[in-house]
Amino acid sequence: MSQLQGAVENAGPVSKLHARESFDPVDFPVPTGREEEWRFTPLRRLRGLHVDAPFDGKVGIEVDADPEIPVVLAQHGDPRIGIALVPSDRVSARAFAAAGEVTILTVPDGFAASRPAVISVRGDDSSVAAAGHVVVEVGANASAVVVLDYAGSATYADNVEFVVGDGARLSVVSLQDWDGDSVHLSHQHALVGRDASFSHTAVSLGGGVVRVAPSVRYAGPGGNAELRGLYFADAGQHLEHRLFVDHSAPDCRSRVTYKGALQGDDAHTVWIGDVVIRPEATGTDSYESNRNLVLTDGTRVDSVPNLEILTGEVTRAGHASTSGRLEDQHLFYLMARGIPLAEARRLVIRGFFGELIGEIAVPELAQRITAAIEVELARGMGPGSTP
Amino acid sequence: MTEFVRACALAEVPEQGTLGVELNGVQLVIIRSEGEVYALAEFCTHEDVSLVDGEVYDHTVECWLHGSCFDLRSGKPTGPPASRPIATYQVRVESGDVYVAL
Repeated sequence: MSQLQGAVENAGPVSKLHARESFDPVDFPVPTGREEEWRFTPLRRLRGLHVDAPFDGKVGIEVDADPEIPVVLAQHGDPRIGIALVPSDRVSARAFAAAGEVTILTVPDGFAASRPAVISVRGDDSSVAAAGHVVVEVGANASAVVVLDYAGSATYADNVEFVVGDGARLSVVSLQDWDGDSVHLSHQHALVGRDASFSHTAVSLGGGVVRVAPSVRYAGPGGNAELRGLYFADAGQHLEHRLFVDHSAPDCRSRVTYKGALQGDDAHTVWIGDVVIRPEATGTDSYESNRNLVLTDGTRVDSVPNLEILTGEVTRAGHASTSGRLEDQHLFYLMARGIPLAEARRLVIRGFFGELIGEIAVPELAQRITAAIEVELARGMGPGSTP
Repeated sequence: MTEFVRACALAEVPEQGTLGVELNGVQLVIIRSEGEVYALAEFCTHEDVSLVDGEVYDHTVECWLHGSCFDLRSGKPTGPPASRPIATYQVRVESGDVYVAL
């Protein structure tokens, strides 16, 4: 009996989500596609990024920011690298080890940036794999908007770290608008300071295979994280978003809202929303949702919310996921008022994404994303599209 | 006229079994069932699992992971969760060798 009691006391609750973390790629075996974290990803289309493809290629990284925000290229060993991130899969660990130069942006304490800092990542050759690493540090009580703008043609694995200081505000938009032959696997980790606020919007429109994994940890109580996403998959495209919110401090808040649309044969989207509320994270307020609009036959949606709650003292913890067609009633309502079917569909889809686009803090970017969605919709309105 | 390419020797394919081959960059599974030889695309249309490890019976190959079944003659799905047909290829057996039309 006493033996049993000891066993129970020692075995505290341990989360199984994202349990493995290491800087050494050797610690992660080559995925076979049967692992939970890889089973939705078409490994044969990753061009060996998950195995041992050499990172001999290069993508260009250019930063346009306020002059008060210093941008430096650092080498491995710099103490600012690896604060927000310990790689959690083989691709991330390989990219971490291979990225020669790390681009570091530092927003000084208390500084309020007057314009968005735009980090443009441009690829021009998808035949050779490339690795990248970007760190964005936001000092205490500072505020900034950062845009990660990925475009061109590349086979690219990267890690992005956001270190948000106490009381700071950071808003990030990560736009994946690659050419159709690109493969992009991205890990974007944030460490949110005490009473700090972090928002992250992933927008995935272009690219053959895009897998983005945003994650959030809290360095102290009172942090707030808003993770949003918007994606539109066409025929043959694989767009995957894997969210992870690790509530390890008390009284923090997180919201995850992802919306996507799919059209065309073999358009595939994956959304994984993992939330852990650890025993010490009392007073957590967390909610995640994913909505998918299936616009044609032949597409595939995978949507998996996972919630692991290890304390009874939570304010709120919930999740929701829906995947379906446009609602007949919505279309009927509009058509009964003289709006033709094609226009009615467009209106409903615009409204569906409007909520998220309205939250994007950079007006030019919001316009660009709206225009890109209009192009997608025009493409999907041909014969064969189902209401 | 489609061109037939040699895939393997007939003896390499087990009776009521499978053999994975790559032909001009296309990954195929060669299957013998009830004395007939078939060639299908290697990967299940449900979750991209290799059918080389599948089970063969009664003109059917069954995916080992989730149990999707395909008719070997037509490629049509005969059991869920797969809902889309798998590609099938014409096969000719000549003097102990299997030829596939790509």
